[in-house]
Amino acid sequence: MAKSNYEYPGYERSGLAYWSKTIVLYSVVTIAALWTLAPFWWTITTAVSKDPNAGLVLFFPEDATLQQFFRLYERVPIERWFFNSFVFAGTVTLFNLVFDSLAGYAFARLDFLGREKLFLLFIGTMMIPGMVTLIPVFILLSELGWINTYWGLVAPFIANPFGIFLLRQHFLGLPEALGEAGRLDGCNKFQVFYHIYLPLTKPALATLGIFTFMFTWNNFEWPLIIATSEEMFTLPVALFFVRGQFTNNWGLVMAAAVLIVLPPIVAFLSAQKHFIKGMTLSGFKG
Amino acid sequence: MSLKIEDPVERLEGGVITPLRERVNRPDNVAGLLFLLPNLIVFSTFLFGPVLFALWLSFNSWDSLTGEAEWVGLTNYVDVLTPLPWAESWAVLNTPTVNLWWFAVKNTLTYVIGVVPLGILGGLAVALVLDKRIRFRKFYRAAFFMPVMLSGAVSAIIWRWILSVEGVLNTILEPVGLAHNWAGDPGTALFSIMLIAAWGSIGFNMIIFLAGLQNIPRELYEAARIDGTNMWQRFRHVTWPNLQNTYFFVIVLSIIGSFQVFGIAIAFADGGPYYATTVIVVRIYQEAFQNGNMGFASAMAFLLFAVVFVFSFYQYRLRGQGEVTY
Repeated sequence: MAKSNYEYPGYERSGLAYWSKTIVLYSVVTIAALWTLAPFWWTITTAVSKDPNAGLVLFFPEDATLQQFFRLYERVPIERWFFNSFVFAGTVTLFNLVFDSLAGYAFARLDFLGREKLFLLFIGTMMIPGMVTLIPVFILLSELGWINTYWGLVAPFIANPFGIFLLRQHFLGLPEALGEAGRLDGCNKFQVFYHIYLPLTKPALATLGIFTFMFTWNNFEWPLIIATSEEMFTLPVALFFVRGQFTNNWGLVMAAAVLIVLPPIVAFLSAQKHFIKGMTLSGFKG
Repeated sequence: MSLKIEDPVERLEGGVITPLRERVNRPDNVAGLLFLLPNLIVFSTFLFGPVLFALWLSFNSWDSLTGEAEWVGLTNYVDVLTPLPWAESWAVLNTPTVNLWWFAVKNTLTYVIGVVPLGILGGLAVALVLDKRIRFRKFYRAAFFMPVMLSGAVSAIIWRWILSVEGVLNTILEPVGLAHNWAGDPGTALFSIMLIAAWGSIGFNMIIFLAGLQNIPRELYEAARIDGTNMWQRFRHVTWPNLQNTYFFVIVLSIIGSFQVFGIAIAFADGGPYYATTVIVVRIYQEAFQNGNMGFASAMAFLLFAVVFVFSFYQYRLRGQGEVTY
């Protein structure tokens, strides 16, 4: 029979060593939790206080009010910004799921000339800093007249080497025999992909989709450059704009911040597994 | 010592010569092209083409109003880099008006040197604690990860309020006499954005470290315990060596990301006060999109590329070899 953990030296659940260890562990997490969560709390207390500049609310606001939110709604097109963010992140995600699964499958399961070199070339683009291509893409899109349009917002993100890499790995993990069986049953190469392999990829697609959506939703530099008028802003750029517009009216700015922070936090708390998996797989964050 | 005698067949395997016809006529040539066609178009339009265009731009002076280019050779690069930092006994690094590029490089290096260890040690510390059987583990994990969900620009604006003159931090520090204009003082603005970046990256590093910790076989700890080791010895001789791949990965990622910091710096103080938060990408952005010097800005972007490439290439090789798999 295996020895119980308690029989090993240094594993007793009492004594000075155990208690000092426990105290150290809990102090580390408590301090870290306060430091991560306090800014969220102060964002909320500032947004709901009557006059944030008159007296600061560190703990609980006494007479909480929603008037900052109403004022914000009167002065800026916040619902339009939400719509823009959804269009931006949603369209990019949709395109990526289709394009990346096609390419990921081709690189994993099709045998064609130049496959290896092309794959290296594709994922090699992950090494290019965004700023290098931002300038020429901006010039190109202004030639096309796509500045300040949804197409201009979405187009550069359709190429997604990370998604291709991720889905290729996933397709490589699926048994080859499935495809051969499908071929014998008379499927063509596209049907093998679409009817046999793609349905087995749903978990990976969900992770990639959720992750891409969040990553695009949070993108700041591209919308900052391409959206030149207020009604084309996405939420992060909009907050930047609100902050510039209502300097030192922090109640209003924090009301906007609450609205902007809420959706990603709610989404994360309801689909933690996917976000954490996507983040771990991605190995990058902007 | 052991001598490994290589099997001649094994060695030849990679170099076996197949007839050209077999190498060129592979079974899925047409299907492969069709599957890849959408991506070939977008990659060419938005990545391959633009990189070449940017390279060409960096040798031109480009007027963004008229869209006219004029070949200037290496002038852009020379203008970016001169006067060199050691000219005038390093005064260049302290006076943004002499050469803003080198000033931005100095800011970026300070930022990288601060944020990378802060984010990694913080992430490692909380990961080590959460790897233990403590209460409310899930709550803590979710809490630490929450800042990762925010756009850098959004966190910067929230922190701008906390650090403002009549903000929360000063309200707390005032009784102790430590109130300060954190964002308005060039001496503290850069440190402020480093703190914000660490706030946003600890949760991310924690997740990667937790994945790495979970890959360490539990038997190693049991064996170490039987040998009567203490907590520090187990960390030093079991955890640390087994996490090697993980922290290499996290360090390289953090370096690549930190060199390209932008949103936090712009949203916090617009590159100021007095250029204190003008990091490399902020500098490029302002030159390209506020001053309209696309060629000059492209030259700077390629210099950044050269620096980041060293680290990215290393990461690319880690990824390519499949050494890091989660």
